[in-house]
Amino acid sequence: MDIEEVKERAGPREFSPADDLPEEYRKAATRMIEFHANSEIMGAYLERPFIRQAPSIDRKLAFSAKVQDEIGHGQLLYRAAETLGVKTREEMLDDLANGKGKFLNCFHYPMTEYVETPMVAFFVDGAAMRRQATLRRTSWEPYAHAMDKVCFEEGFHVKHGEDILRTLMNGSRKEQQLTQEAFEEWWPRIIQFFGPTDDKSTHHDFAASVGLKQKSNDELRQAFLDQYVPKARKYGLEIPDYPRIHKNDEGRWVVEEDDLDWDEFFTIAKNEYEPGVGQIDGRKHAQEAVQWVRDTIEADNVPAGGQPPQAAD
Amino acid sequence: MIWEVFRQEENGEYHTHCGNVHAPDREMAKQFAAIQHGRRKPTNSLWVVPKEEVGEIDSDDVTFGGTTDKGYRWTMTYNLQTDQAEEVVESESEQEQADKQRGEA
Repeated sequence: MDIEEVKERAGPREFSPADDLPEEYRKAATRMIEFHANSEIMGAYLERPFIRQAPSIDRKLAFSAKVQDEIGHGQLLYRAAETLGVKTREEMLDDLANGKGKFLNCFHYPMTEYVETPMVAFFVDGAAMRRQATLRRTSWEPYAHAMDKVCFEEGFHVKHGEDILRTLMNGSRKEQQLTQEAFEEWWPRIIQFFGPTDDKSTHHDFAASVGLKQKSNDELRQAFLDQYVPKARKYGLEIPDYPRIHKNDEGRWVVEEDDLDWDEFFTIAKNEYEPGVGQIDGRKHAQEAVQWVRDTIEADNVPAGGQPPQAAD
Repeated sequence: MIWEVFRQEENGEYHTHCGNVHAPDREMAKQFAAIQHGRRKPTNSLWVVPKEEVGEIDSDDVTFGGTTDKGYRWTMTYNLQTDQAEEVVESESEQEQADKQRGEA
């Protein structure tokens, strides 16, 4: 199949591993899915400490379930990506550990306080779900199938995040104040979640023309603001003065792009943002620390017998 | 030789198991599958897989998950009484469906 035919046929779930697809398509799909897979993994690492730090047993259980889900999403997505034949799973995991793999801007920032968790668990996950729901109609069928399972699970993540926000914003004045401060810190990053506007996006046109991407960065950001600005206000969060955002007469959100730190965004995109390097190294250390597990499994000399397996419940 | 058959109704949908055929080789298995399983119901694609290549693990071998009450990982637990984004609503209805099936199992 040549690229013109791909563009002509491009529709939801149109292409599967049975199709002979041009390299340009396979490379673009790999870049997109690998980025998504890496983001699932790095997001899980960001939230993992809160299995301990969360203030109640219910919250700890939910965080533990959520981290388990996110790692699972990463696994699904690496599978969907490796089927394209451009990169192996090992290459993608090695690149992530070595600081070459790219992932979502928000997951480059350290998260240390519990009051920060709804910024990721509600707003970032809410933004992610807006995007993921549209990707159930992507043209690469294995990616769409992975999104079916991800979206099935993700509703719990977003509502759990909202529940934390609700609790904090109904808490003591101190809690409310600290939550507002965390919101002010994370808000511009969340606005940048969808990346640069369409006219400045490097990969959008091609990915859209072959049906990989179903909605543009701008459209998704509009849909996000429509849904989540009223939510933030409902819980008593004040939208920060900067970046300046307002709704125009046609009901479209207008964001003053110059109020956002795009230099920082592109430094992050190159994996060179200093505070985030620690998180990439953390993943590398984790990868090395469990190398013995992979070695043992692949050595093929696992003793027979023992306990029957217990499926993850 | 037995070949398990998986049918996909429409492009982009899942291949789901629909039966098996007796055939001496892959080529014949594909032809039999097309005749036996592709004629009456809408079919976009069929997979045939040698039965002995299918691994199976069942509830005699292992205790499967999904039966323990883990309310904390279901959307329905978080009763927020706010409007949800449409994709969150969709996720919740899929989870309600799965939870109902879990109760029936």
